[in-house]
Amino acid sequence: MIPLFAKFGFRKEDGVGFRIWFPLFLVWLLLLPIVLLLLPFIFVVWWALQVNPFSALSVCWQALSGLRRTHVEVEHDHRSILIHLV
Amino acid sequence: MNENRRQILEMLSTGQINADEAERLIAALEKGQPVSAAAEESRPKTNVKYLRVLVDSEETGKDHGPVKVNVRVPIQLLRAGVRLAGLIPARARDKVNEAFHRQGMEFDVNQIKPENLEELVEQLNDLTVDVDADDVDRNGNKVKVRVFCE
Repeated sequence: MIPLFAKFGFRKEDGVGFRIWFPLFLVWLLLLPIVLLLLPFIFVVWWALQVNPFSALSVCWQALSGLRRTHVEVEHDHRSILIHLV
Repeated sequence: MNENRRQILEMLSTGQINADEAERLIAALEKGQPVSAAAEESRPKTNVKYLRVLVDSEETGKDHGPVKVNVRVPIQLLRAGVRLAGLIPARARDKVNEAFHRQGMEFDVNQIKPENLEELVEQLNDLTVDVDADDVDRNGNKVKVRVFCE
């Protein structure tokens, strides 16, 4: 399952910041027609590079799915940034 | 007390195994079963899901505040990365190997194969890196780094 939501957080030195939930599924929905249109060209490029297009597609999907539950949080000098994929 | 029994008791005292597992191992020892096989049975098979990197630095200089890093990478992403490496065209792989060689790293990208993937992930079960150091260059600030799987 690919990540459907992302939580982004940001905090400045003075403690002012925000945390938002971003609906990633909307991005996927927007990208879907573009990807479908480009897919034949991508397949041709993979074919030319002697890469099996189907396994390449499968691996790309796995990489995207693997991003789920990734958590990155960095805090420095009382400033912080947070990215969490769900 | 023989060597095997002592080893089991040491494992129990260090918390590597619990009392029940120690009892099973000693029973297996008395029956003449090989200890390694019994230890393998008693060890809980854990499936790691995440690679965690934690950094905690207590910088006290006037220009720097404390640094904290908390990164959790799903193992599934690492799996996909290894598979992705398998898709690199042969010519590009040779170039990568050459670049590694130039940097003094004897690493062969061709060795990264999906067949070795499970073994690689299995080895991550035992991975724990703890670095606890005083950063001398920055007024003796303490830096803690932990890399482990969970």
